Amino acid sequence: MNIQIDALNTVTMFLFNIIVYNIVLLYGTVGEIITEKSGSLNLGVEGTMAVGAIFGYLMGCYTNSMMIGILFSIISAGLCGLLFAFLTVTLQANQNVTGLTISTFGVGLYFFVGKGLGDNFPAMSDYSAISEGANPIYIPFLSDIPVIGKVIFSQNILVYVGVAIAILAWVYLKYTKPGLKLRAIGENPAAADSMGVNITLYKYIHIIIGSAIMGIGGYYMGLVLRGSFEGSSCWTDGYGWIAIALVIFASWSPAKAILGTIIFGFFNTLQSRSGSLAQAFPDFLGWLKDIPAQFYSALPFLITAIVLVAESMRKRKNKNEPSAVGINYYREDR
Amino acid sequence: MKTKQPFVRIVRRTDFPLWAMIIINIAAVLVAVGIGAILLAAIKVDPFVYYKDMFTIGTIDNRFAYKNFEGLIEFFVPLLITSLALALTFKMKFWNIGGEGQFIMGAISSATVALLLGNSLPSWLTLIMMAVCGAVSAGIYGLVVAFFKVKWGTNETLMTLMLNYIALYALKYFGETQAGWNFFLSGESVRPVFATFPESAWMYTIKIGKFSLNITLVIAILLCALIYIYMKKTKHGYEISVVGDSQSTAKYAGMKVGRIVMRTMFLSAALIGLAGTFYVSTAHSLSTSVTNNVGWTGIIVAWLSRLNPVMILVTSLLISVLRVGCQTAATNFPVIDSNFADLLQGIILFTVLMADFLTRFKIVFRKNTEKEVEDK
Repeated sequence: MNIQIDALNTVTMFLFNIIVYNIVLLYGTVGEIITEKSGSLNLGVEGTMAVGAIFGYLMGCYTNSMMIGILFSIISAGLCGLLFAFLTVTLQANQNVTGLTISTFGVGLYFFVGKGLGDNFPAMSDYSAISEGANPIYIPFLSDIPVIGKVIFSQNILVYVGVAIAILAWVYLKYTKPGLKLRAIGENPAAADSMGVNITLYKYIHIIIGSAIMGIGGYYMGLVLRGSFEGSSCWTDGYGWIAIALVIFASWSPAKAILGTIIFGFFNTLQSRSGSLAQAFPDFLGWLKDIPAQFYSALPFLITAIVLVAESMRKRKNKNEPSAVGINYYREDR
Repeated sequence: MKTKQPFVRIVRRTDFPLWAMIIINIAAVLVAVGIGAILLAAIKVDPFVYYKDMFTIGTIDNRFAYKNFEGLIEFFVPLLITSLALALTFKMKFWNIGGEGQFIMGAISSATVALLLGNSLPSWLTLIMMAVCGAVSAGIYGLVVAFFKVKWGTNETLMTLMLNYIALYALKYFGETQAGWNFFLSGESVRPVFATFPESAWMYTIKIGKFSLNITLVIAILLCALIYIYMKKTKHGYEISVVGDSQSTAKYAGMKVGRIVMRTMFLSAALIGLAGTFYVSTAHSLSTSVTNNVGWTGIIVAWLSRLNPVMILVTSLLISVLRVGCQTAATNFPVIDSNFADLLQGIILFTVLMADFLTRFKIVFRKNTEKEVEDK
């Protein structure tokens, strides 16, 4: 009997972790989808998240307010977006190079600020409002349901915000007029331009909004990891790159990104918790412990690579990928 | 019909003089260094002391200065070769951002050769075999992407990005799994540690006093010259730039675009694999951070240098000093770690991109007298 309860707990914790540690992927992916739909490939997700994480967390702690923290993660990450937009849209710089540089720059800034504060780095436990904000919320009745109650209805508030943003982004892209114009820019900027769409404005707005959403994701990681700054690894450690992969896996749809987050999150969680699953179910999951953790880490990238090739092999051009993604639009080149 | 001219307009220009271009770029780098100084001052580090340490890579008043120069060369050679290789594909507007993965492939395959052969063959033969295996395996790793691109139009930027991580986790797997078959690990250590190469797989060095000059430096500079000639003077190089300018022009001129893309990508990836071989044979072992991020840094170097091989030589030296210098300076300044190099490198690229804009475009303000705008 006892063993069964333990096994149930293991499964519950496993499912809970899939969501709590991977919702950052949803933020990153939705942000990147909005950016790419405007025809810009921003490879700076990792750096943008890191910047949002460190500044959001610090300002949140200094003011002891989670809302201020979120606000500053939005502002700081939005500034990264503004930089990207300024360089690629106005100055016509190459998107790949600019994006990759924002990634290294952002992570560099993260360590610079964190290290520079040294012993003054705020500990989350000193700030009641911040640590409460990261706690699971309690929904009467729903949170009491076994397994599902814990997994779906006892997450922290930012998990629900993330899902809400994804659904809003999906509706926006699919059913609204500005969303339609945005997709037109991503497909064929010259045609959109001749229809009178203000391309520069649209690109700026959506690159900045996309980056801001990534920034919230970074802030979220700071909260979930309890704000302990380590000199060796960044809070957003590699999640930004997985998010770029997830955009392809979700075929540029924020709604599918929710599903994709759960699938990629499943692999991420297996990487750290496959041992406990194997222990709980030695009979039919015992083989899990024989699979190396690095395989699970590589799996999101492996799957995405296969998806990329498979999608391009199908003769019909993948309709979801914006055709003009990665190409700068210069009016006089039309 | 009268159309109102926008207040500011951006017009392409090609008449920017070379001397002004050089000055404006140097100014951009100086501005970036200045921003770095402000940041340093903000965390109460004296920027002059820090920069002195950094730009001299800690060689002043140092009895072991030659060690620092050796460290610089160890970093510089892979970066130079990688940047040159990336420039080849960028010139073709083919976005090989898979330098990291190709470097790792080269490193793993040459390490395999080194560890399996042991001291059984003469040193020169071992090294040549390592170089060939490293280059060919990395070349194939890159060629696959080019093949998909040519055959089905698969997005090469995203594809090479994914392959980077697949290679990285493969390397981590070899580095963290203790098992009987795993010859990559040292048998003597309890914890998983990469094995040291047998001596016949160590790269040759020329002793000049205490300083030992790694011959990969000579090879790298030779390669730089060769790639310059390849890009500027040969038919292949011409084909690369035509494909980069316009694929339809290339097709119209009867060039086999697919073949050119695949050939160039193989060459690029193979060179990066060779850089990987050079690095491991100099360091005498693998490590999970074997690339030192040269795959990423190389992209920035190639771009800062406008894909020009001679400029790449200068820029990669500058960036190497910056990165190695930050590592040495970090030992004296506990509040800064070597990641400051990433930050500074990013700022340099941003300022240079802004300067680059001024050299490529002209900003035209609307004249006060409202004129009719003629269509081109």
